[in-house]
Amino acid sequence: MNEETKKTISEKYERELQKGERFWPDSIFKDVVVSLGLFVLLLLLATFVGVHTPPKADPSDTSYIPRPEWYFLFLFKFLALYGQIPVLGKIEFIATVIIPGAAILVLTLLPFIEKSPYRHYGKRVLPISVMALFIVSMVTLTMIADIPTTSGTDGVYVAGIAQTIGGLVVPGLAFLGLFIMAFTLKQKAKKGMIWTTVIASVLMVVFTGLTLVYAPTVEAEAAEVPVTLPDQITAGQDLYSVHCVECHGDDGSVSVIEGVEGLEGEELTPINSRDVLYTITDSAMQEVIAYGRPTAGMNPFGKAYGGELTRSEIDYIVTFMRYAWDDRFEMPPVKPLYPALAEGEVPSYDVHIAPIVKRYCISCHRAGKENNNYLMGTYDEILHSGDNGPNVAAGDPESILLLTIQGTPILDDNGDELIGTMPPNKQLKADIIDVFLRWVMAGMPQTAEEAAALSTAPLPTPTP
Amino acid sequence: MWQKLYTWLDERLGLGDMYANLLDRPEPKGNWWNTLGSASLFLFILQGATGIFLTVYYTPSPDHAYDSITYIMNDVAFGWLIRGIHHWGASLMVLVVFIHMVRVFVTASYKYPRELTWLIGVGLLLLTLGMGFTGYLLPWHQMAYWATTVGTQIAGSVPFLGEFILKALRGGPDLSALTLQRFFSAHIWMLPALLAGLIGVHLYLIIRHGESHFPDEED
Ligand code: HEC
Ligand code: HEC
Ligand code: HEM
Repeated sequence: MNEETKKTISEKYERELQKGERFWPDSIFKDVVVSLGLFVLLLLLATFVGVHTPPKADPSDTSYIPRPEWYFLFLFKFLALYGQIPVLGKIEFIATVIIPGAAILVLTLLPFIEKSPYRHYGKRVLPISVMALFIVSMVTLTMIADIPTTSGTDGVYVAGIAQTIGGLVVPGLAFLGLFIMAFTLKQKAKKGMIWTTVIASVLMVVFTGLTLVYAPTVEAEAAEVPVTLPDQITAGQDLYSVHCVECHGDDGSVSVIEGVEGLEGEELTPINSRDVLYTITDSAMQEVIAYGRPTAGMNPFGKAYGGELTRSEIDYIVTFMRYAWDDRFEMPPVKPLYPALAEGEVPSYDVHIAPIVKRYCISCHRAGKENNNYLMGTYDEILHSGDNGPNVAAGDPESILLLTIQGTPILDDNGDELIGTMPPNKQLKADIIDVFLRWVMAGMPQTAEEAAALSTAPLPTPTP
Repeated sequence: MWQKLYTWLDERLGLGDMYANLLDRPEPKGNWWNTLGSASLFLFILQGATGIFLTVYYTPSPDHAYDSITYIMNDVAFGWLIRGIHHWGASLMVLVVFIHMVRVFVTASYKYPRELTWLIGVGLLLLTLGMGFTGYLLPWHQMAYWATTVGTQIAGSVPFLGEFILKALRGGPDLSALTLQRFFSAHIWMLPALLAGLIGVHLYLIIRHGESHFPDEED
């Protein structure tokens, strides 16, 4: 840049300053308004949206789908799409290093690449078009980041084709077109470049729309992570009921195992005793559960050792054991398993039966256990499965389920026991039996609304 | 009384000069887009302030990181607010810094005599992204753990140097306590120190050359 141009620029700037404002208070005022606005926005976000907390890191759970911060999503998606390109797609570092590296280099050296002294956008069509395309690609790639790149099945995967075209082909061609025009047509290229940018952007948006419309509906895993202590204790108790009760009993007091194949009569230290709770630290306890006591007959539960539980889940169990049994910890108020029923109120599957079943029945009534194929994981299973099912019939007090939980075994024609009392080793508390009774007698409503419709006066005040 | 105090301070600090040189400057006619730079600065300071509070309870070890965050969210008075601001502030800062860059690009404010301001700006953008990347791992939750695994893997795909970069980032072949310690150190010491230093130079250059004016047909 020669001295002449520099002088023109400085003179123009001086003239602009004459017409301008003062930094204090004019400019500062606007700065303060915007910063304050952002601060209020942050307060609102922190208060009303909060922070979503995924479960604790678990190096053994490789099935977890990694998801970076949202502002890196477009790069992830770009990598995934790039990997689809035949041959070139196998050379990973072109997409991970060369292309982003080149983009950053161009951005850094921009003042030395675009050397013309012109600042008005009418005279800078190429740079502005490139930037516009870049931003549109970033936004569209971010929007489709969560949609699988391939479907994993045969057949036409429309969303896959649409995203390859919209995320890779169109922007690629448009960039190419811009540069060819800029270097061959020189000054006359303005219109062509503007149209290329506009058309490419519209196409990208359209194909993104198509991708979103044709995206396979993925079942959002609404796995709520318990964050408060009472929730963690409840989660731990549920997990304990499923995995540990058969050997250690529901209060951890078992000292001689009964009714477990292969371990009949095995002696163990009650795990609710001070001997165990005072001598084993939290992290040692997590290890015991994760690794089990294979020599003594307790199998490993941690995913790292082939079990089913994640680190967080094991954490919750330990938390539950501490607060429920260790006298050095004070149990915080924990939400009751199910909201108490008012007179005439009908319980529903969602609100009452599901948590009860999870706590008292699921440990045996799930796949892989001995239970006459009576699975109790879902509403439909409870209603229809089982070798002697259906085990519940609307309004029938003689339903198998109701008889067995009230201590009446089911006998076959020869008078031999076909189904024992449920749960086998202990009697349910009277109020839980009452919930089951009311539920079956009212016709087994699934949702809270259905149950409310069946309730007889006095109408209950809704329990949260 | 106040007058006296002011004169005393002015004699030693030069408050009057500061006012004349820093605040009472002419500026070209302003534009709301020009507030984004100072908004970035505000968010940087806010992140610093909330971040310092978070380090009071945060423990950078795989065994305790997650629990210490849970503790901050549930048991520390206003912990949820501080963490909430820091969490959302990080996203907002990336967004605001990026839009600030786009506005500087569109008005071509990076041209003579502001080339260096831009160069340092790019450094600021990369450092801001680096803050986001290192900060994301600190709560040590599943999402962060696996995203960082993949993220560092990508850095490891650089030809020839990849192996070295990967080990330098992770402190070993896999993510471990060492990785967390490294990211923590980068997130609270190295990157913010660099950022603060570069912001200082950035601001010096802006005061030296003045804010550029909005380009018109002549420019
Ligand atoms: C198949 C039966 C079985 C199941 C299921 C089982 N355990 Fe055990 N557990 C044992 C046996 C046997 C021992 C060894 C007892 C001993 O050495 O005193 C043991 C030991 C323990 C100990 C250590 C006691 C000590 O003195 O070292 C803890 C703690 C424990 N179990 C917790 C659990 C938890 C929590 C679960 C559920 C996730 C569970 N167990 C499930 C059989 C079982
Ligand atoms: C300790 C394990 C265990 C628990 C806990 C348990 N069951 Fe069972 N259940 C069994 C077994 C085993 C059978 C197979 C019949 C038998 O051996 O008595 C069975 C059978 C049944 C059947 C008959 C299924 C059929 O179609 O033949 C019903 C109904 C039943 N259980 C209800 C329940 C309910 C309700 C609960 C929870 C309150 C429960 N069970 C808890 C082990 C259990
Ligand atoms: C932590 C991040 C950043 C902070 C705190 C910051 C701060 C500021 C401030 C306060 C201004 C003056 C007000 C304004 O024009 O908005 C400014 C101007 C400027 N910034 Fe930044 N900035 C940051 C990032 C960037 C980035 C990423 C770039 C470009 C790559 C950049 C390039 C510029 C340029 C060239 C100017 C001069 C603009 C003009 O004179 O019109 N800055 N910056």
